[in-house]
Amino acid sequence: MHIPDGYLSPTTCATLYAASTPFWYTALKRVREKLSTRLVPLLSVCAAFSFVIMMFNVPLPGGTTGHAVGMGVTTIVLGPWASMLAISVALLIQAIFFGDGGITTFGANCFNMAIVGSLVSYFVYTTVSGRSGITSPRRVFAAALAGYIAINVAALCAGIEFGIQPIFFHDATGSPLYAPYSLGIAVPAMMLGHLTFAGLAECIISGGVIAWLQHSNVALLKATMPTDDLALGGGWRLTRPFWIGLAALMIATPLGLLAAGTAWGEWGPDDFEKPEVRQEMAAASNQIAPPEKVPSGMERLASTWTAPFPDYAPSFLKSASLGYILSAMMGIGLVIVVGLFGERVIRLGKPEVKPNMAS
Amino acid sequence: MTTTPIFELTDVTYSYPESTALDGLSLSISPGERIVVLGANGSGKSTLLRILAGLCFPERGSVVFQNQALTAESLALETFAQDFRQRVGVVFQNPDVQLFSATVFDEVAFGPMQMDWSKGEIIERVNTVLNDMEIFHLKDRAPHRLSGGEKKRVALASVLVLNPEVLLMDEPTAALDPKSQGHMIDFLFDCIGKKTVVTTTHSLDIVEEIADRCIVLESGRLAATGSPADMLQDHALLERTHLVYKHKHRHKSGVVHSHPHLSHDHHHRAIE
Amino acid sequence: MFGPKCSTGRRRDFVEGTLRRLAGTMEYATRADDSAEHAGLLQQIDPRVKLGGFLLLIVAAVTAQRVGVIAGIFLAGLLLALLSGVVRTLTKLWIGILVFTGAIVLPALFTTPGLTLWHLPWVGWAVTAPGLHSAMMLIVRSETSATLATLMVLTSRWVHLLKALRVFRMPVVFVVILGMTHRYIFLLLQIAQDFFDAHRARRVGRLNPAQRRHMAVSSAAVLLNKSMQLSSEVYDAMQARGFRGTVYTLDEFRMKGRDWGMLAAFVSLAAAAFWMGKQ
Repeated sequence: MHIPDGYLSPTTCATLYAASTPFWYTALKRVREKLSTRLVPLLSVCAAFSFVIMMFNVPLPGGTTGHAVGMGVTTIVLGPWASMLAISVALLIQAIFFGDGGITTFGANCFNMAIVGSLVSYFVYTTVSGRSGITSPRRVFAAALAGYIAINVAALCAGIEFGIQPIFFHDATGSPLYAPYSLGIAVPAMMLGHLTFAGLAECIISGGVIAWLQHSNVALLKATMPTDDLALGGGWRLTRPFWIGLAALMIATPLGLLAAGTAWGEWGPDDFEKPEVRQEMAAASNQIAPPEKVPSGMERLASTWTAPFPDYAPSFLKSASLGYILSAMMGIGLVIVVGLFGERVIRLGKPEVKPNMAS
Repeated sequence: MTTTPIFELTDVTYSYPESTALDGLSLSISPGERIVVLGANGSGKSTLLRILAGLCFPERGSVVFQNQALTAESLALETFAQDFRQRVGVVFQNPDVQLFSATVFDEVAFGPMQMDWSKGEIIERVNTVLNDMEIFHLKDRAPHRLSGGEKKRVALASVLVLNPEVLLMDEPTAALDPKSQGHMIDFLFDCIGKKTVVTTTHSLDIVEEIADRCIVLESGRLAATGSPADMLQDHALLERTHLVYKHKHRHKSGVVHSHPHLSHDHHHRAIE
Repeated sequence: MFGPKCSTGRRRDFVEGTLRRLAGTMEYATRADDSAEHAGLLQQIDPRVKLGGFLLLIVAAVTAQRVGVIAGIFLAGLLLALLSGVVRTLTKLWIGILVFTGAIVLPALFTTPGLTLWHLPWVGWAVTAPGLHSAMMLIVRSETSATLATLMVLTSRWVHLLKALRVFRMPVVFVVILGMTHRYIFLLLQIAQDFFDAHRARRVGRLNPAQRRHMAVSSAAVLLNKSMQLSSEVYDAMQARGFRGTVYTLDEFRMKGRDWGMLAAFVSLAAAAFWMGKQ
C-alpha cells in the first residue's frame, strides 16, 4: 500500500503531511514521557522489526501469499503512539533508501498506515478485548480483527486519496494530472486487494503473534491492557449508548429525502431561472418575488467552492438513499476526527498515567 | 597499609523472576588487579559484571565504587554518572549489542559525545584510537559489514576511547578466531599495572595469561578465590563447578580425560 | 495494489519468497553503499546539497503540469547519472517502473472520459485523449521522481544522508533513531534469514497450510521477542557509555566551491521547472 511519487498532487501531499504532523508531535511527546531514556533503543529496534515484517510472505488459503504491515502487532505491544512512530520510521527508510513509497507521498503513507492503522487497531483491539484476561482467547480474536479492520481502513483512506485526484487536479481539458481513477474505481480497486489478501495476512500475523506471545512472553502484552484511566479505550463503555444512537440516526438520514422542496436560503444560482423554485422562494418570503436575475455577487461567489458530494449525492452512486448514508458517514467521520484531534491538542500538556511498558 | 579497593561488594543478592543470580556475594577488587571470574553458565558471572557496571542494582547488600555507593540514586546525579561511566568501561559479550551506531566512527565517538568534549577533541581522539587498534580503514564501515574479530576490536575501541581505569569484559575471547583471540590476550596482558580488569570466561586455557586472581562462582555464591595456578590445580573444584567435565571417550593413549585441556602442551592428565 | 511490493496473492513458496526479498534487500543496500564510493560527479558533492537539491527537484517534478517539463527534469537526472556512473543500476529501475506503472494506468486509457482518439481492434474499447495524456503524465512523473530519489541514494553514503536531514530541522533524536534503525535492520534481516534457512531444510512444500501459517507466525513472533530483548541490551550498552537520554550526531560536512555550484544548478533547474510547469 506504499503510494509512490506522482500519484498524489502536491496539495494532497502537503495536506497529509500537515495532518500527520500533529500526530507525530503528540506521539513523540507521549512516548518520551512514558519511555524517557529507553526511547531511542526501543523505537529503533521496533522500527527495524516493522521494516523486516513488511517483507514477510504470509501463506494464505489457496496457496497464495500476502504481505502484512504489522500495525496490529506493533500497536498491541507498544501502544498506539510508539507504534505510529516505529512504523513511520520504517516507512521513511523504505521510502528514501529502498524507493518503496514516494517521498512527496511519505506523509500520506504515514497517515494511512502508521497513524490511522495504529489508532484503528488500538480502538478495535481495546473495544473487542474489553476487560478479558491477558491470556484469554478473546484477545487473540480482538487482535486478528484489529489487524484486519485497520489495514482495510488504511486501504480505504488510500483509495479515497487516489479517487479524489481526478476531481480536484486536472488540467484545462479535464485530463487527470495525477492518479487517473475516480472514487468509483479507486476505492473498490484498493478495497478488493485488502479485503482479501492483505487483510487476511494482517489478520493472521496479528492474531497469531498475540497468541504466541500469550504462551511465551506475556509481559509484552501489558502495554495495552485496560487501566482505570478514562483515556483511549476506557471511555467506550460510557459512550456506547451515544454511538448506538448516532448509528441509528445515520441510518435514518434518507428520511430527509421525503422532505419536499429546498430549505429557505439554500437556493443556488441556477434556481433563479426555474419557475417552480421562484414560486417557492416567493411563498417562503412573504410573497416578495425574487430578483429576475441571479445577484452578481452570488454568482461570483457560488463558483468558489465545488463540493465533492453536492446535495449529499456522490456522482458515482445511483441510489439517493445510499448517497445520504455515505454523506452522513463521511460527515460524522470528519467531525469525530476533528474532535479527537482537538481533544489531543488540549490534552497535550497533561501527564499520562499508564502501565509501564515491557522492554 | 592497604589501598582503597576500587570496588567493594558486601553481601550482594540479585534475583531474576525465575532464579537467584547472586546470593550473598562479597568481593573486594583492588586498583590494578586483573581478575577472572570463572563459573559455568548460570553461575552469576554476567550478573556480577552488570552489577559492577552499574546497570542493575542488588536487592540486598551494597556496592561501593571508590568509597561512593553505587546505586540508582547516585547514578541519577549527572556529575557522578559522567565520572563513573568514563572511568569504568564495559565490553559486552555480544558485539552486535555494543555496536549500535550507524558507522564505526560514530560508534567510537558515541562515548566522547556523551562526555561533552569539543568536536575537534572528539575527532582527534577517535582517530587516534582507531589508528592504535589498527581499524582506521574501517572508520566509515557499517557494523553489519564487519567480521567477528573486527566487531570485537571496534567494541574495545569504543570503550578505550574514554581511557577508563577499569575494564569489565564479558567473555572477551568467545567466538573469536585464533588470531583475534591472540590479539585480545595480548591486549589483556598489556593491561598489567595500567588498568583494573575484570573478565568473565569459561575458557580455562587463557586464565593464567590474563589474570592475577581467580574467582570461581557457583550458583551465585563465591566457591573459591585464589591465584590462577592454584585454581587450575584444584580438579575437584573445577568439576564441582562444572568448569571441566569428564566424558567417556578414550584417547588413543588409553587415558580417559577431561576437557578443557589444562596445560599448554596438551598433556592429558589421568582423571579417573 | 499500489506499491511494487504489495502482494496480489501470487502462488509461491512463502519461505523462498521471503528469503529472496530479505537477500535482495541486503544486496541492494550493499550495492548502493558501494556505488557511493565510486569516483563520479555526484559522489563528490556535499550530502546536504544532494538531499536538498533532489528533494526540490522531486517536488518540481510532482508539481509540474506539463509533460515536457517533467521530461526535462528526467533528462537532467539522466545526465547526472551518466556523470556519476550509475546508469546501469538505474536502467533496471526504469524498466521496472515502466512495467508496473504501465499496468496500473492501462485501464485509464479507456476509463477516462473525453475525446476519443481511436478504438482498439476487436474489443472496440475507446482510447481517449485525456486517458492517454494522464497515463503519460503518471509514467513520466513516476520515472522521474524515482530516478531522482535513487540517484541521491546511489551516490551518497546512507549515513551521510541521514545526518544531512538535520538541515531540514529534523530533531537529532530522529536522526539517531533512523541511524540505529538502519543498523539493526540488517541484524534482524540476518536473524530472519537464519530462521528461514534452518526451516527450509524441513521442505516447506510438505507442510499443510496450517503448519505453513504456524511457521510464518512463529517466525514473526520469534523476531519480535528477539527485537525486544535486543532493545533492552542495547539500552544497557548505551548507558554503559554514558548515555543519559540525550543523543548527538557528529558530521564533518564542509561546503566547497563545487558544492555551491551544484546547489545553484539544482535551484535554477527547479525554479525553471516550477515556472515553466504551470499551465
